[in-house]
Amino acid sequence: MDPTTVMAVVCSVVVFAGWLILPHSPTSIKPVVVSEEREPVRVSA
Amino acid sequence: MKIDSGDTAWVLASAALVMLMTPALGFFYGGLVRRKNVLSTIMHSFFILCLISVQWVLWGYSLAFGPDKFHLIGGLDWVGLNNVGFTPNADYAPTIPHQAFMLFQMMFAVITPALISGAFAERQRFKAFVLFSLLWATFVYDPIAHWVWGAGGWLHNLGALDFAGGTVVHISSGVSALVAALVLGRRLGFGKQKVEPHDATMTVLGAALLWFGWFGFNAGSALGAGALATSAFVVTNTAAAMAALTWMTVSWWHKKQPSVIGAAAGAVAGLVAITPASGFVNVMGAIVIGFGAGVVCYLAIQLRERIKVDDALDVWAVHGIGGTWGALATGLFATVAINSAAANGLFYGNPRQALVQLVAVGAAWGWSIVGTFAILKFVNLIVPLRVHEDEELIGLDLSQHGEPAYASIHAN
Repeated sequence: MDPTTVMAVVCSVVVFAGWLILPHSPTSIKPVVVSEEREPVRVSA
Repeated sequence: MKIDSGDTAWVLASAALVMLMTPALGFFYGGLVRRKNVLSTIMHSFFILCLISVQWVLWGYSLAFGPDKFHLIGGLDWVGLNNVGFTPNADYAPTIPHQAFMLFQMMFAVITPALISGAFAERQRFKAFVLFSLLWATFVYDPIAHWVWGAGGWLHNLGALDFAGGTVVHISSGVSALVAALVLGRRLGFGKQKVEPHDATMTVLGAALLWFGWFGFNAGSALGAGALATSAFVVTNTAAAMAALTWMTVSWWHKKQPSVIGAAAGAVAGLVAITPASGFVNVMGAIVIGFGAGVVCYLAIQLRERIKVDDALDVWAVHGIGGTWGALATGLFATVAINSAAANGLFYGNPRQALVQLVAVGAAWGWSIVGTFAILKFVNLIVPLRVHEDEELIGLDLSQHGEPAYASIHAN
């Protein structure tokens, strides 16, 4: 294999293998602050 | 020279694809800013499409591609498209009408100044933006385009390889964006308030449309419908995908979750990096270039945050650094097996090409810094670059254009 191919294989392995070891769910969930609170629209009967 | 209908059809279609990239950029950037500035951000891109479309046919094309003067500029022989007709130009594209080549190049000239607008988003005065864009296109873009792509341009003569604009488009716009961010200064509240994208869906849509249009940007630069265009198409898609995967992986490792906007930004970084190399590298080279873009552009953003430069939409990190990586990588991975009219890079036995690419990168960085700084200072003498504080607080959509992007739910 030429050097370019070797590098490409290494890069691909790093990325694909990375997904196997990275966490599959966040360790904590941060609350999202809603910056604009809207009042409900009144609908007439 | 005989006009080839297949080549002509492909180049005209590619010109349309690249044109689409400018409004796509407007959406990509628009989703990243606060809602009070989204229309202003989109307007930057839309307006530049109109402005440079006219500038190009009047004098821009002549300066960039016209008969060479001192290896530095094209001169004014082709002002108003004088002598730019339908007979092919042998220097540039021997199988398509000259005006088709001009039109294709126009779309590059349009998107390049539009890219810079991401750096000064949310704070530049519209009139200053108009003047800056016109002067920048004329005195920075057109000369660099001539140096690299013009017949007789000094970087072209040196043998610099830039298939579709790593130096001409991305380094010039990215580095100029950094200068603009420094000259204009930080947004109000920068560093104290976190600015969240107001519409991530708009950003991802914009990135997808950019990806689509980039096939015209890179594969269209083959200026013909054949093997080279096919190769450029394949490596473009591969590099974009690899860069997006890499950026997601890096951000997943760094921030503990894969970022959606990161995936979109990563794809764009890969597209930027493969741009100069797209007609010279094979698919393995594209994978490495995409991987590199995902890593270096992500790190560049971390650096930019650390030194507290308010390049609002990370134009320098993605385009300046991505373009630099791509231009240098071209000097490493170029192979005549893909393009016999080019040269081999370092890994194919030609170390000189890596040095030539370094010279081209340095020239693009240098002229972009000098030219952009001078133009910004000049424009500031005529009209203030920044809006007033109160205008920045109410948002540019209202203060500069008198129009909100979204109707209020409380409006009558």
